[in-house]
Amino acid sequence: MTPATVGTPTSERVSDADPPKAGDGAASGAVGRPAGVDSNGEGFLLVDIDRFQGPLDLLLHLIRQQDIDVFDIPIARITRQFLVAIQGIEASALESAGEFLEMAATLIRIKAQMLLPRTGLDEDEDPRAELVRRLLEYELVREVSGRLRVSEAERSRRFGKGFIPPRVKLEVAEQPLETDWEAVLEAALEVTMPDPLLFEHQVRLRPVAMEEKVDLILDSLRKSTKVRFSDLVRPWVERIHGVMTFLAGLELGRRRVVRLRQGEPFSELWIYRGENVDEDGSATDPGPEEAS
Amino acid sequence: MRTAQIVEAILFASDAPLNAAEIARADTSLDEDTVQMALDELRADYDESERAFELVEIADGYQVLTRSEFAPYIERFDTVPRPNRLSGPSLETLSIIAYRQPVGRIEIEYIRGVNSSGVIRTLLDRGLIDVVGRDEGLGRPLLYGTTSRFLEHFGFRSLEDLPRPEELPVVLRDRVPLGPVAEPEEEADPQGSEQHVLEPVDGEAPEAAATAEQPAP
Repeated sequence: MTPATVGTPTSERVSDADPPKAGDGAASGAVGRPAGVDSNGEGFLLVDIDRFQGPLDLLLHLIRQQDIDVFDIPIARITRQFLVAIQGIEASALESAGEFLEMAATLIRIKAQMLLPRTGLDEDEDPRAELVRRLLEYELVREVSGRLRVSEAERSRRFGKGFIPPRVKLEVAEQPLETDWEAVLEAALEVTMPDPLLFEHQVRLRPVAMEEKVDLILDSLRKSTKVRFSDLVRPWVERIHGVMTFLAGLELGRRRVVRLRQGEPFSELWIYRGENVDEDGSATDPGPEEAS
Repeated sequence: MRTAQIVEAILFASDAPLNAAEIARADTSLDEDTVQMALDELRADYDESERAFELVEIADGYQVLTRSEFAPYIERFDTVPRPNRLSGPSLETLSIIAYRQPVGRIEIEYIRGVNSSGVIRTLLDRGLIDVVGRDEGLGRPLLYGTTSRFLEHFGFRSLEDLPRPEELPVVLRDRVPLGPVAEPEEEADPQGSEQHVLEPVDGEAPEAAATAEQPAP
């Protein structure tokens, strides 16, 4: 709803409108008087539609503002003022506009009914009776609302135990994901795809040849009948020497040039002279074909 | 251990109102009467020793709350939740539900003159009202009633604490009842001066008082 101001564009409720009220009231006292006649005072009615919670609220305001007797509402005047007040309602605010228009229709209907001759003075016959009942009820609701507001304010000044909740830390996951497809695309384009060539498997020579280690083992076994694996590996730091020495040991074992002994898992590995080793220690004779 | 101490310990540990029956469940030695006596004792105790808190009867129970004069100090902490004040439409709708419960949406909207489904949903979400049944009529519409959180929010002991309609300064009602509609109404206008007397109690006054009491946000 947009503010619809009648008269000057301030949203102030004009209590200054009171002075001309008496004359205005007198002029509009006659029900159904033509609109133009009692223009006196009407210009002072400022109605900011946005301030009202609905047509009843607006109606109540108009009645209070002019100190109108609710049991004898000058329906023509109120209807006209109501219509002027709602002129500024934007068509886009259809729902609330509909509520105001419905009330306007009701007012116009009552106004028409007032013009018809009535047979009796019974309350039920007054076309305004239902509207009056609603206004009274609504005024009561407004009054109670005011009291509730006071109670609420009083209650909010008292605090129970544990009024200070732990500070809430926003988890990363709790942060709403706000993005659009353009941002996603942009991010995707920034990702550099890895060069497939980098994944090419490169074969390199082992830095230590197994043959070296074969010679080492055989050389050691020339000096003694058995040698510790750890003694063979000790001079080198790199793991590859251990690996290659072990492979050489396995190979020589396969050729039966040496025998491998280990007392228990993870204990010292001993390498013994094998049966194929010459008494003088020459290990050149046994070929792979002979062993297999 | 004295009964009053046990009751005090339970009230201290609770962050919601408890009634005598609920407190009595803490120990077999307690019953509702002894707890009630202990509650009265505690309340008098707090009052006499001028504690910063008091035992408040609220929402069909009792709760230890700070006295309102200390609100400015407490509110200085930014972790204190701002008192969430209800909007005008919310208060109007709550007023209707509080007095007319169980009541359906159609009746609420007729009284307010505006669509109220959004407000009703908000009040439901905040636990101030609840669905308490269904009407017999067409479509068996939902009926709403207020909850104990409603009482807590406004600091009421029970629905009895709601202002009585006859206590309210309803200006319009105080006018002369609907009488013959004819020429006599012309004479009604001079009464305007006399009716001015009623203006100080006009509708806006209580709300203005409410806003004045509220600390500036």
